[in-house]
Amino acid sequence: MGKYLEMIRIRFLMMLAYRTNYYSGILIYSINIGAYYFLWSAIYGDKPSIQHLSIVQMTTYIAVAWMARAFYFNNIDREIALEIKEGKVAIEMIRPYNYLSMKMMQGLGEGIFRILFFSVPGMVIVYFIFPIQFTSHPATWLYFLVSIILSFVINTQINLLTGIATFFLFNNDGLIRAKRVVIDLFSGLILPISFFPGWAQSIMGYLPFQGISYIPSMIFTEGFQGSGVIHGLLNQALWCVVLFIPIQVLWATAKRQLIVQGG
Amino acid sequence: MSYFSIFFQYAGQYLKTRLTYRADMAVEIFSDLLFQAVNLIFILVVFGHTSLLKGWSKDEMVFIYGFFLVPFAIFGAFFNIWDFTDRYIVKGEMDRILTRPIHSLFQIILERMELESLFGVVTGLAIMFYAGNNLGLSLHWYDPFIFLILVAGGALVYAGIFVTLASIGFWSDSRTDIMPMMYNIGNYGRYPVDIYNRIIRYVLTWILPFAFVGVYPAAYFLGREEWYIYAFITPLIGVIFFAISVFLWNIGVTKYRGAGN
Amino acid sequence: MDYIIDVKDLRKEFTSHSSRSGLKGAFRDLFTRNYTIKTAVDDISLQIRKGEMVGYIGENGAGKSTTIKMLTGILTPTSGEVRVNGMNPHKDREKFVRSIGVVFGQRSQLWWDIAVQESFRLLKKVYNVPDEFYNTHMADVIKTLAIEPLLDKPVRKLSLGQRMRCELAAALIHNPPLLFLDEPTIGLDVLVKLKIREFLKEINAKYGTTILLTTHDLSDIEALCERVIMLDEGKIIYDGALQQLRENWGEGKQIQFLFTEDVFMNELQELTKEHLVVWEQGTNASTWTASVENDEEIISAVIGKVVAAKRIADLKIVEITTEEIIRNIYEEGAVRNG
Repeated sequence: MGKYLEMIRIRFLMMLAYRTNYYSGILIYSINIGAYYFLWSAIYGDKPSIQHLSIVQMTTYIAVAWMARAFYFNNIDREIALEIKEGKVAIEMIRPYNYLSMKMMQGLGEGIFRILFFSVPGMVIVYFIFPIQFTSHPATWLYFLVSIILSFVINTQINLLTGIATFFLFNNDGLIRAKRVVIDLFSGLILPISFFPGWAQSIMGYLPFQGISYIPSMIFTEGFQGSGVIHGLLNQALWCVVLFIPIQVLWATAKRQLIVQGG
Repeated sequence: MSYFSIFFQYAGQYLKTRLTYRADMAVEIFSDLLFQAVNLIFILVVFGHTSLLKGWSKDEMVFIYGFFLVPFAIFGAFFNIWDFTDRYIVKGEMDRILTRPIHSLFQIILERMELESLFGVVTGLAIMFYAGNNLGLSLHWYDPFIFLILVAGGALVYAGIFVTLASIGFWSDSRTDIMPMMYNIGNYGRYPVDIYNRIIRYVLTWILPFAFVGVYPAAYFLGREEWYIYAFITPLIGVIFFAISVFLWNIGVTKYRGAGN
Repeated sequence: MDYIIDVKDLRKEFTSHSSRSGLKGAFRDLFTRNYTIKTAVDDISLQIRKGEMVGYIGENGAGKSTTIKMLTGILTPTSGEVRVNGMNPHKDREKFVRSIGVVFGQRSQLWWDIAVQESFRLLKKVYNVPDEFYNTHMADVIKTLAIEPLLDKPVRKLSLGQRMRCELAAALIHNPPLLFLDEPTIGLDVLVKLKIREFLKEINAKYGTTILLTTHDLSDIEALCERVIMLDEGKIIYDGALQQLRENWGEGKQIQFLFTEDVFMNELQELTKEHLVVWEQGTNASTWTASVENDEEIISAVIGKVVAAKRIADLKIVEITTEEIIRNIYEEGAVRNG
């Protein structure tokens, strides 16, 4: 366990080293939230609420969705793809740790860095500029915390899957790009799932993506109440478990291929 | 010697390599289409809940989006420089570029072109014709020419912003995520800028003038006369921003530190 | 006499920031940073004439690559004057690079995915080489380097030695009067090295091509260069004939003794006190090396005295290698004769 904690720490330090990244990141996330705020204000016009979300809730939803994205988002799919292409994975395999867990821990290190130095100050800035409401119920905060941890796990699992897919595709860039686009839309980052037409919602109900952004953001804005919260968390937990299976299968196949082809 | 003939030489090579990996090309076009679809879906879903956005109708919004896709596709095909710092500065590939007798930026454009992005021009035109048809827009004989000029202006705006960002790599090779995030900001030029407050409108017009890639030039074809002035200065803004970026790039090249220092 | 490379007081400094250690340090780095200036090339001056083959040597980090990069227009000097082929490399870069060829041993000039000849064709276009010239000149280069069978293979499928020969050919497409080679033989086997050296000599003789070459492998220099320039910590510490370097530094010989028993330094020094001998102990107290002047009488006298007093099991006389000479120079950090 110690080595995984060390991995988190190292990644954390690495992130601190890139300060241009840090400053520009806060600025750009704020601009993003701002632009969406105005877009949604225009969409709402005079309407008090759409799909049971008021404009304040909607703004909060966007702010929290972007700030949570800072936590769950990582580039480990690209990193894995690069390491596979450059043949570094073979070396990683003989190291005394589990490669995939290691990657996940690196992602976690990045995530913790961003949520502390990025989302929290960013949220404070955004709070003073835009009409955002933070809930006063401690329980909601707790549920939200659990929910974003699960969303990190789901997103990272999907990243691992796309990363490992590089073993089977010559050039994986297209797939990685497509995945990113799909996640932005189907996770509810740019649009709450409840805004979609009914048939689309029911399809998305069978996909893991809404666990990444929609569920934690709805919990935070209290768009989900009571059993809705529990339901959402269970949905996320279920996907965490289910996604574990294809990862193991693909990884086992990939390892076999690596041995046969020698990287 | 002409840069044109070199360009065609590179493009020919590019096609040759690409045709060897046809599956990749298909995946790439598919992911582009997906990206375009997602943004269209956003507009459609939003208009499922409202009929007008600050006075702009659904078809107008869709038309703006269709227009945006054309300069964006051209930009995407030739200015694939979002990983410039990593690829050329950190890994030192710039050394090689600088030992060749062609302008360094032009070489990078040649090396990194992704012609399949041009497929977006087709999607964009299709969307524009569909929306334009719904709106009952009519074309003058000179409109296609104006279209070409406005598209060129828009593509230059995009290129200017991204070349400027890439130039930062000459001064600081630390990793940044500015580039991918800038793609996000670029999207806001697709929505009518009058929905934003003054500051954002100002930023999107004069600082990161993404509005000149979408809403301003499209306003000309939509007959929104209040924006004509902006529509017509699109090529000017494009040339100015691109010239500034090349200027910064040229200064940056003299600051290049080489790999491994 | 016009120089093809004329450098005066050339200097290159790099600023870099140093990171503080630990989490607290990293956090402080977010706001303020420590900057340090490192001088990679420290006011060097050198001139090279047309047709010379010059070896540019030095340890890692001595400033070799930085100099080459300034001479090729890749880096802009901090101060000083550079004229190469009568031009200022970084000012007229695009025009200037037409007059030089560059091979970086660790970096490919060729396109990874396409066939070698396609790369050549692209470069031909880039350098705007006329067809007739290309056909005759390249045919010659291809034949001499024996790369004909490699032309239709993609670069990624070539071995290092094959690739390096193609790199050389690519650097010569426009028949430049000046060729920079940065570690051209790194990682190559002996046969390929020989072939490449042979080829370089040939183009030097045929076209009068001036060649500046950096290398770790001194046998390259011995085989090719009459002149060497040595660099240490950004300064030129030797610039002159390789022969003279040998004469000044390598005129001595070494006599290796293997005694049947342990002997002591003072015994040996006492025995040979009439001559200038430097004694050094080998792996144990029974192996000793005597460094002496290259003079038959002295050598005979030293051997005679030692053998008369001590029983020996083995004896060997060796010449000091260039490598050792250079190591000695670096260890002393100064040069007797420039």
